[in-house]
Amino acid sequence: MTAAAVAVPATGEGLAARRALRDARIRGVAFAVLGVIAVYLATSSFAIPASFSLWIQQQGGDSAVLQTTVGTLWVVAAVGSAIVAALQLIRGAAFRWRPWLFVVIAPWLLALLANLLSGKPAILTNVIAGSLELATPIAMAALAGILSERSGMLNIALEGKMLIGAFTASVVSSLVYITTGNVLLATIVGVAAAMAAAGLTGLLLAWLGIRHKVDQIIAGTVINIGAIGITNFIFLRVLQHNTEFNSPPSVEPMRLPLLADLPVIGPILFSAKPYVYVGYILVIFLTYMIYRTRWGLRLRASGEKPAAAGTVGINVLAIRYRAIFFAGLISGLAGSYLSLATAGSFQMEMTAGKGFIGLAAMIFGAWHPIGAFFAALVFGFADAVQSLLSILGVGVAPQLLASVPYVVTIVVVAGVVGRVRGPASAGQPYEQG
Amino acid sequence: MNRLKAFLRRAAVPALSVVTALLVGAIVIVLTDFEALAEIGSDPARALFWVETVNGKTVISGALGGVVNAYGAMLSGAFGDPGRIITALQTGKERDIATAIRPLTETLVATMPLIFTGLAVAISFRAGMFNIGGGGQLMIGALGATITAIMLAGQVPSPVILIAALTVATLAGGFWGFIPGFLKARTGAHEVITTIMLNYIAALVVFFALRSPTLRAAGSTSPVSKNLSPIVDVPNIINLPNIRLDYGFVVALLMAVAVSWLLFRTTKGFELRASGFNLTAARYAGMSAGGSMMLAMALSGALAGMGGGFMVIGTVGQLTLDLSGSIGFTAIALALLAGLRPSGVVMAALLFGALTNGGKLMGVQSGIPFDLLVFIMALVIMFVAAPGLIRSIWRVKVAKPAPEIAAVTPTGAPTV
Repeated sequence: MTAAAVAVPATGEGLAARRALRDARIRGVAFAVLGVIAVYLATSSFAIPASFSLWIQQQGGDSAVLQTTVGTLWVVAAVGSAIVAALQLIRGAAFRWRPWLFVVIAPWLLALLANLLSGKPAILTNVIAGSLELATPIAMAALAGILSERSGMLNIALEGKMLIGAFTASVVSSLVYITTGNVLLATIVGVAAAMAAAGLTGLLLAWLGIRHKVDQIIAGTVINIGAIGITNFIFLRVLQHNTEFNSPPSVEPMRLPLLADLPVIGPILFSAKPYVYVGYILVIFLTYMIYRTRWGLRLRASGEKPAAAGTVGINVLAIRYRAIFFAGLISGLAGSYLSLATAGSFQMEMTAGKGFIGLAAMIFGAWHPIGAFFAALVFGFADAVQSLLSILGVGVAPQLLASVPYVVTIVVVAGVVGRVRGPASAGQPYEQG
Repeated sequence: MNRLKAFLRRAAVPALSVVTALLVGAIVIVLTDFEALAEIGSDPARALFWVETVNGKTVISGALGGVVNAYGAMLSGAFGDPGRIITALQTGKERDIATAIRPLTETLVATMPLIFTGLAVAISFRAGMFNIGGGGQLMIGALGATITAIMLAGQVPSPVILIAALTVATLAGGFWGFIPGFLKARTGAHEVITTIMLNYIAALVVFFALRSPTLRAAGSTSPVSKNLSPIVDVPNIINLPNIRLDYGFVVALLMAVAVSWLLFRTTKGFELRASGFNLTAARYAGMSAGGSMMLAMALSGALAGMGGGFMVIGTVGQLTLDLSGSIGFTAIALALLAGLRPSGVVMAALLFGALTNGGKLMGVQSGIPFDLLVFIMALVIMFVAAPGLIRSIWRVKVAKPAPEIAAVTPTGAPTV
């Protein structure tokens, strides 16, 4: 203890280093505990068969079947956890554990799924593709959150903006479809309108936060509550009695040429709804924009140290306005997904916390688009498994299953898995001279 | 005189905020009245405002007329008909009096949980914690009271059940509030996200609990609990048929006094406010900021939970999934409107209680959905938080925003 104290002087830096080491140890022990639990679960489940099948070419075609036992899957999960635990404990704070998390989480979730299914066969292609679809709005919300927080604005209002997007998309798309009868045009105009509406809402948020210096949390709450109020109001007053205004043409899956023909992978990744592809593109595009362009550097500077950015001539407030506007566009897109591609119409309060879950994915992914995408995938998987289990009638109360994403969100936000540092100045108003 | 002036000055922003929000609400009513607006080309008078007499009754129609109808219904729903109350009191018939004063007492009934949750929000905001989980804390409190009442039914006398149910409600709500406080203090998890998530979880927990045949009303297919009034009931203030105003309202007022005393007359209250005002300074002065956060959130949840308890064993009489409704949002609006002062909370709760109660009649009579009020409440929060907007809309000089509102922004807050 004393030796360590001498080796690491108690300056700010040393304190941070010691804390990092402590966190690393806690993490290592946590991985090891996951491994032990997996071994324990394995001992009692070798008798239960597990059967997963994957479509090779397309839905309903030939399939590859993975025939094993639940116990074997738990052993794999235990091995994965043990490897990562060992690496973490040996390499300490220097260990880049985030990518390795995949080695722990993926087999664990698979084994858990098999255990819950208790012998019933499942089509893995559908589970993974379903996870991707359900993850898409969450990932988009996370991307919107990353954009605004990187610029220094907290964005609690994602939920409200998604709700407004979902509402606008459904109504506008229905109206265009009624007048022109053109499905493609209706969808495009509907999505564009949703993005514009949510973008404008974003500008309102930015205006309240920047011009009027309203606390960014309160401004976001205003938008969240206001969005619920106005969409419920119009739904009950107008849409309920005129259902034709709330019957948009639905967005159907689209097979990407060539890519969709790849065996096994094609049906999972490239036969989805177009939103999923837009999601892929956005993740790559934003990663490039944030880390590889001058604009991205300025964006990050505004979020980390706005005073310094302002000193070198960057217009911090303009950057923040623009970032919030783009974030609004993306959350509108995410919202339109809910009404056009999943439910087929607008329903009251249909976002059901997805905006906040998106924020959790953002934090879990350490404010990085790719990290956030994989974090969103975990939430999507939870959703997909939940619907699979309720279809198969597995004996877990649906209310308890439904609460899993919310509980995971709290766990993630609390940083139980590993604390990360966000943009330093997010949430603080900036006075531009 | 000067004190009156100071009060008016302080009340200017809240009052104008409510007025402006109601005006915007009116615009929304007009703009969504497509049936009336469709005639604007052919018959503008009929489309906008039209008064006629049908079968001896005055009927107002048109888009602007719709606003008159809606807000008129809200007013009479909230306060009743004064003429009728006077005649009823003169005749002295119990049933007539009850019917006449029912709107007024129902307003107080709607006010009761708003005082509890408004105080809950005020106490947490004072400590720099943006607790928007009042709805969930209320639900968990209500669930605790319901379970206690049903478990103890017939085993102990009803006053004991009353106290036990309220105690459990308070503790359960306090626990639900303590969780985000603890997480914020220990890990920095932002309370806005955790309290919202706990709202969803609370709704699912209540839904799950109402599956159990012990709690669910016999023979009911929808998730509602058994009727609790035969088991336990908070005594009524006025004993008239159909009047459900009970002593829960009095307790709510007492709680306002208690919160005021705690915040402004005790050391703990000073510490709470200090850590809300400036976390770093409070820490430097040797106060336990984390302790203040947890305490404030636990008290906040306890108040909301107690409100939920009074609802299920008093005014409402059973646990339903929509028990909390829009109470959680309303509480935020009214607490900010009140400048986070307990006395202000009571006044603002009366106002919002009147709106809530009147909003129900508005929904029935003029077909304007209740959710308009949720939108109006969002606007109220916005105007109170951005007094500059009010200043530029009404071209008035208003007092600087109360320091309490500024205190909601904790310095050096961890990122979300």
